[in-house]
Amino acid sequence: MKTMIAGLALAASIFALPAFAADTANIWVRADGSNFMPRIVDAFNKAHENQIKLDIIPNAEIIPKYGAAAAGGTAPDALSLDLIYTPAFSAAGQLEDITDWAKSLPYFASLSPAHVKTGTYKGRIYGLPFSADSSVLIWNKKLFKQAGLDPEKGPANWAEIEADAEKVNALGGDIKGFYFSGNCGGCNIFTFTPLIWASGGDILSEDGSKATLDSPQLRGAIDLYRSMVKKDLVPAGAQTDTGSNFFAAFAAGNIGITPSGAFAIGALNTQYPNVDYGVTFLPGKDGGWSSFAGGDNFVVTKGTKKLAVVKEFLDFAYSLEGQTILAKYGSLPVRGDIAKEALKDLDPRYQIAAEAMAKGRTPYTVVFNDLINSANGPWTQMVNEVFFGDDVDGAVSNAQETMQSIIDQAPQK
Amino acid sequence: MTTITAETSAPARPRKLVGAGRRQWVGLLYVAPAVALVTVFFIIPLGMTAWMSLHNWPLMGEHSFIGLANYWAILRDTRFWNALRFTGWYTLVVTVAIFAVAFPLALFIERPRRLTGFYRTSFFMPAVIGFASASLLWSWLLNVDSGLFSPAAFDLGLTEKKVNLLATFQPAFWSIIAMVVWKVAGFTMIILMTGLQSIPSELQEAAMIDGAGPFARFRAITLPLMRRTLALALILSVAGSILAFDQFYIILRGGPRNQTLTAVYWIFNQSFVSFKLGYGAALSMILLAILVALSTIQLWLLRKPEGVD
Repeated sequence: MKTMIAGLALAASIFALPAFAADTANIWVRADGSNFMPRIVDAFNKAHENQIKLDIIPNAEIIPKYGAAAAGGTAPDALSLDLIYTPAFSAAGQLEDITDWAKSLPYFASLSPAHVKTGTYKGRIYGLPFSADSSVLIWNKKLFKQAGLDPEKGPANWAEIEADAEKVNALGGDIKGFYFSGNCGGCNIFTFTPLIWASGGDILSEDGSKATLDSPQLRGAIDLYRSMVKKDLVPAGAQTDTGSNFFAAFAAGNIGITPSGAFAIGALNTQYPNVDYGVTFLPGKDGGWSSFAGGDNFVVTKGTKKLAVVKEFLDFAYSLEGQTILAKYGSLPVRGDIAKEALKDLDPRYQIAAEAMAKGRTPYTVVFNDLINSANGPWTQMVNEVFFGDDVDGAVSNAQETMQSIIDQAPQK
Repeated sequence: MTTITAETSAPARPRKLVGAGRRQWVGLLYVAPAVALVTVFFIIPLGMTAWMSLHNWPLMGEHSFIGLANYWAILRDTRFWNALRFTGWYTLVVTVAIFAVAFPLALFIERPRRLTGFYRTSFFMPAVIGFASASLLWSWLLNVDSGLFSPAAFDLGLTEKKVNLLATFQPAFWSIIAMVVWKVAGFTMIILMTGLQSIPSELQEAAMIDGAGPFARFRAITLPLMRRTLALALILSVAGSILAFDQFYIILRGGPRNQTLTAVYWIFNQSFVSFKLGYGAALSMILLAILVALSTIQLWLLRKPEGVD
């Protein structure tokens, strides 16, 4: 296939005028992007002389696969990379410095700040926002109505979350008030930390050099979850859910409230049209709100010869047409200045998620995988122990210590 | 390879040296494809692993030679030794459990009788499922909300509420043991069955005539004559269990609370979660050494006693 494209490119360069010689760049995306990425690549390829060849890689494999490909000199020209890995990739010296080009974009200032922050390493820019997903709270309107609650009003603080969950839970049978994936680090950094942020706390210092788990805000959020577990508002399976039920539990229609992500809007609308749900922000203890700004950064492999094609593609993705395609197929827009326009014909619930995205936060650390995402890392272990175990103090101080030692041992470059 | 060439040359007499030499070359030619495969897919990767283990080798970026530093780090890596201790315990339990199930099954299906074919097939069936798919199947069966075991026990009134089998260590561990036995016992059963069938029935009959009971016959004839088969089944089971990964990764994610991290799981984590390929390679070399040592010990323990042919 590759040779065929190369052959075609060669043929094209012989017959076409040299100035129009078409070039093909190879781009990878993780499976989370398998909905919108092929659409935008198709649209680009139809409208442009230069072409993009897209490969979709399973989520868990994209990092090792890219590492191996980079070592063997066969890395793709660019990659749509989970934004939390951008610091680690930049630190490894694997990425092209695109600072000058990025700053020359007229809309640079309105690009998703969370993406740009994680895409910046030591003052230089290595990654730019591509796709976006923010965490929000969703509730089942039908169950709210049955429980005698206002189906149009989602909970706006912690006390309301617990009270509403309790009412829904009282419906009995298979119906439960609340759901979260209790053994999944990634899910909980996405949906649990915003509760802490919205109350004024944090789990890492701004530059990622200190773990700051020992805070009253974290304890408060833990107490909220523990109390709901104790009152049996949460299905028993939550304790061992490593993330496989993160979305499916709510989609089945028996859960009152669950923290989730913008992705759920598209997924529920297309796959579970019968679930009537509302979207609101993840609240703080006494109101206010926060969100985890997730998604992918677009990064360029160091030394690629296809830089021009890659830039052309990213330009297209940032156009109104590109942003609309992305929004339509499951990613939030990443350009704040045209987000409203890109979303105007879509489900209005996206507006909440887009607003959450704009003010969302993302922890910055080169050891995110070790600290947070690893199923055996300190964060995952802690959330499971503090939500379900007996020794909250021990679990928190143990996690604090382990996280700090992982941060301290990280390669300093 | 060496054994084969040695055997071909053994019967040759000194005056036929030339012919023997040529035959050796022909022999080498015959084994060449196998040698090439082994070299490309085993020796070279093994050499590379050993080489990588002497480096600080991140998944991305530059690697640098650090000598034996990775191995020194392993000495202080308590989580690896804990994982190894757990792997040892798991290997012991699961091997005993597999044999406890597979041996009676093998005795049961060894002799042709009505429906033997049916039993053999059904006992063997789980062995043809991959470990990953079997793990996925069981992770659903073990699910507390939508699975089979806990809801069934609850509906039958055996438990007061649905018990989450995977939430605490003991039930989680024994669930995995049950799953592995279900999956592997059929395979071990077939190996043991071939061993049983290779015992000449005259021996059993002679012993029977001499008045030996079934237990005495099993102990004095069946077991000693199955030495080689047992060694094979044992080594396969032990090596497979020490390299256990899929079931703990897919069903338990090393949980509850990281109590079921196996050695290979730890290597995987170091290499692909922490991106320390060099360190992972060093851990792999240690595990390889342990496996070779264990297999050697097992072969030695199960060797043919002196004087018995």
